[in-house]
Amino acid sequence: MAAATSRFSLFSKGQLVVLGLLASTPLIDVAMPTLRLSAPMRTVVTSAIIALGLNIVVGWTGLLNLGIAAFAALGAYAFGILTCEIYPFQVGFWWGVLLAGAVGAFAGWLLGAPTLRLRGDYLAIVTLGFGEIVQDGLKNLEAITKGTQGINPLPAPSLPGIEFSSETPVRWFYAYLAILAVVVFLCRNLEFSRLGRQWFAVREDELAARCMGIQPDKAKLKAFAIGAALAAVGGALIASQLSSTGEPANYDFQMSILALCIVIVGGIGSITGVMVGAIVMVGLNNVVLPIATQSLQNAGIGSTQNVLTSPDNYKFLLFGLALVLMMRYRPDGIIHSGKAVRK
Amino acid sequence: MTNTEVFLQQLIYGLSNGMIIALVALGYTMVYGIVELINFAHGDVFTLGGFLTLTIVGVLGAAAIIEPGALGESSHWLLLLGLVIAAGVFCGGLNLAINRIVYKPLRSAPKLTQLVAAIGVSFILVNIALFWGGAPMKVFGGGNAAAASKDFPEILEGSNLLGDSSNVVLRLEDIAIFAVTIPLMIGLTLFVKKTRLGRGMRATAQNPIAAKLMGIDTDRVIAATFLIGGFLGGAASVMWSVYNNTISFQMGFRAGMDAFTAAVLGGIGSLPGAMVGGVLIGLIRAMSDQYIETRWTNVVVFGVLILILIFRPSGLLGLKQREKV
Amino acid sequence: MMMNSMKTANFRSAISAFAFLTSFALLPLAGCGSDKPTAPAATAADSIKIVSSLPRTGSANAQTTSMVNGIKMAIAETNGKIGDTTISYEDWDDASAQKGNWDPTVEAQNADKAIADEAVMAYVGTYNSGAAKISMPKLNAAGMVMVSPANTAPNLTKAGFGEPNEPAVYRPSGKINYFRVVPTDDVQGAVAADYAKELGATKVFVLDDREVYGKGVSGVFQKHAKEIGLEIVGTDGIDTKASNYKSLITKIKQTGADLVYFGGTTQTNAGQIAKDMVAGGLKAKLIVPDGCYEKAFIEAAGAEALEDRCFITFGGVAAKSLTGKGRDFYLAYLKTYTSEPEGYAVYGYEAAKVVISAMQRIHAAGGTITRASVLAEVGKTKDYTGALGTWSFDANGDTTNRTMSVNTVRNGEFVMVKVVN
Repeated sequence: MAAATSRFSLFSKGQLVVLGLLASTPLIDVAMPTLRLSAPMRTVVTSAIIALGLNIVVGWTGLLNLGIAAFAALGAYAFGILTCEIYPFQVGFWWGVLLAGAVGAFAGWLLGAPTLRLRGDYLAIVTLGFGEIVQDGLKNLEAITKGTQGINPLPAPSLPGIEFSSETPVRWFYAYLAILAVVVFLCRNLEFSRLGRQWFAVREDELAARCMGIQPDKAKLKAFAIGAALAAVGGALIASQLSSTGEPANYDFQMSILALCIVIVGGIGSITGVMVGAIVMVGLNNVVLPIATQSLQNAGIGSTQNVLTSPDNYKFLLFGLALVLMMRYRPDGIIHSGKAVRK
Repeated sequence: MTNTEVFLQQLIYGLSNGMIIALVALGYTMVYGIVELINFAHGDVFTLGGFLTLTIVGVLGAAAIIEPGALGESSHWLLLLGLVIAAGVFCGGLNLAINRIVYKPLRSAPKLTQLVAAIGVSFILVNIALFWGGAPMKVFGGGNAAAASKDFPEILEGSNLLGDSSNVVLRLEDIAIFAVTIPLMIGLTLFVKKTRLGRGMRATAQNPIAAKLMGIDTDRVIAATFLIGGFLGGAASVMWSVYNNTISFQMGFRAGMDAFTAAVLGGIGSLPGAMVGGVLIGLIRAMSDQYIETRWTNVVVFGVLILILIFRPSGLLGLKQREKV
Repeated sequence: MMMNSMKTANFRSAISAFAFLTSFALLPLAGCGSDKPTAPAATAADSIKIVSSLPRTGSANAQTTSMVNGIKMAIAETNGKIGDTTISYEDWDDASAQKGNWDPTVEAQNADKAIADEAVMAYVGTYNSGAAKISMPKLNAAGMVMVSPANTAPNLTKAGFGEPNEPAVYRPSGKINYFRVVPTDDVQGAVAADYAKELGATKVFVLDDREVYGKGVSGVFQKHAKEIGLEIVGTDGIDTKASNYKSLITKIKQTGADLVYFGGTTQTNAGQIAKDMVAGGLKAKLIVPDGCYEKAFIEAAGAEALEDRCFITFGGVAAKSLTGKGRDFYLAYLKTYTSEPEGYAVYGYEAAKVVISAMQRIHAAGGTITRASVLAEVGKTKDYTGALGTWSFDANGDTTNRTMSVNTVRNGEFVMVKVVN
């Protein structure tokens, strides 16, 4: 019956808390202006959207995907081609984001259809390979993608009467946060839908699910396509934020790995957890480590004379250490969904 | 160069590169076979092996490398053997320590938790390699540019064995790769097939709980697996350094990715599979560089991988697994 | 089973919380003042900040460290003050640990951070031309001066090298705010092609690293090489993470090329290419651009692989060969940092110096130091005599300095073999 009730609520309490927390970060900026949190906040949101897409595949359906960045790349480039002034389409921000999602879904379906019958880690390497293929393809097909030059400029969100630009980062952030809220709402509804229950069944026991009349391949394919669509939306939002698709190399294996870390660190299978994961991981990468090294620098500690004395050179170490320690002490992630089985 | 010469040359390069990948892939596949963990840190353990090798070479100095005869005619080979053993023991020990400190406490945690921990270890090792690159030694450039790639001196004589006039180049280092990797592979196969510990490994891979019930000390088996996998990675790092004459703190990334791909291509968990997969990837890379374009090589490698897996879902030599009920 | 009342309670709380959330969202939309952090300080700032945004994590670290040292020297020379106002400097990293290379989100963040911090008057950066594309339009809209010590991609400032909308796309305000103290690649690529001909090459194989900088400079090289009658026997883009390029070298060998041009940097594996040319028995010469003009390149390739067969073009002359103020810089650098400066150190120094001189001129004229006044004054830099000689910024914001040098390696050191003006 839990499923029936939840149909009426937009968000769970946890999700509300996290969304509210995110919504209040600009206030922190007012209180402590030196932190300048509003700059990285959009990255938290885009990363959360990509990770929520990944969560559907990894967390709910139990398929390991190591190439989610490929779909973000396709989304970013679809958005670029559909909206940039040097191409004939110029559909604008909102259509651009929606169509980017559609392109992502199609790509997910295309990759998933022949490969989803592969067992766990074989599928993982296929997605990893797909990530490399997309990256190199975008680099090499210069006639369409401009190769490494990137496609720019790209439109910011637009609403009648409200202007968005790099000078209004807070306003822009709220636009992105609203999109995240919609994504969370969609995910929450999927989680308790018939399809969501099919995913869980497939994850727990494929054979049993089949006996219950579920077609695992179809359910998996849908998870793949929806996850890819969300990642593509995330990619499109990154491109809009940068006003450029950037280089294809930006959507590399490291990006897929970061998304995976967000899901696992936050709490696999939990929407709230994934959002928390995004705050923690992006916060670590884009806020804590830069601020930490910066304050050491300002305090006159460390010098650029030697590799060991330059604070910047400790970033890999701290990032890695944080991952290991979090896994050691919170093996189920920060927010434990209580549903994911130990496999 | 005639077309035949070109083909022969690419065959040599493809096999040499492939054998190194295969050696790294064995470490992946063994660990995966036993604990079902994609050990992301394996490539970086390999990197540190390269740094240790360069350090030893730096400590021994130019004399040991260039002047033959210090240990007789075969001094270069003895040096190579020494390096393989040293790097192998070091990487084996390191892998063992990582298993003990990081993976072992997480053994009952979800698989993906272990995976993320492995990713974390990988970042830590990359940073250690970066610091190591700043070591105040001449071979590391005196420590001025820690992040830069490091030149690895030639240990084996670099002239063309087929004569200077030949268009096809075959160097001692190509031969050395085979001379080192093939005995290691044979040794490993015999070890797993014939020894008590090897039998324990196969049993644990088959079913860890049943193995434990049968009185096998699975913790010891797992530790041994990490040790041996690390040893092979260390040996590979020496051959990689000798063959490419460069090491860098991020070299483990591509080596690791290629090796992981090779392990899956061959059928993850299968030792001969990892060997075949590695060699195949080396060959595909060489042929694609020559007959397609270097810029498309990655696409070709992974395209072939996906195609093969579509038709052989358990890899080339992997056992077709029955779905568990 | 859940009770009906609870159901509605849940629903109600959700709605009210959502309303709470939306009200937050609407707050800034209504035009809250804090949302416009760009308002430049109208009065004299009590502190002036210069920031640099360079990749400090990962493989470009050696080169950027040298540049940061140069910037610090420039500031130290004025005792860190303009009049009574202190200049502070912050060395920002546009790379992230997770990427190990420049990260577009971090570069965007740095630009946003600089814009939001009212004390920041100038932005020194970027190192990678791709990164410049991200921050240029942001800083332009905010009217902050940006001086790059290292970007050489011509399409950042000049029309006709990239897309039709370049460089206008980087100047949304219509004004120029981006300046650079390095000569661009349209000069460099052509100098390299001319030198290839001088070396007696007839058949050239052109490689690039498939990145903004490498692709750009190799494109110019190729175009100019064709014009002066060199035959292009093949082109390819390398995989920068490959362990070696022996197979690619074999392919080049088959084409009979007597010269290889590689548009790329030390970080994109130029050293390995040089090395594999030797190992693969390819006797052709190699020309690479200024991204390889650093000690790390010699370290990576090994001196033997480069001796008199590899030529490196570089905007300007070697630090050692600088004269006048450049010589002073070189000696001061050696003294302060007890190591040879990398090729770009002097550009870091000059970029910061140009900004500081502009501030000094404003102060001397009794003006107020604001973003707008600094931007205007930097743009007026004309016949400036600095470490790189006497030069001006042209109408595009590029240096009029066109001095290029061709270098090779002998005994493990860069040796200048030719200077082109």
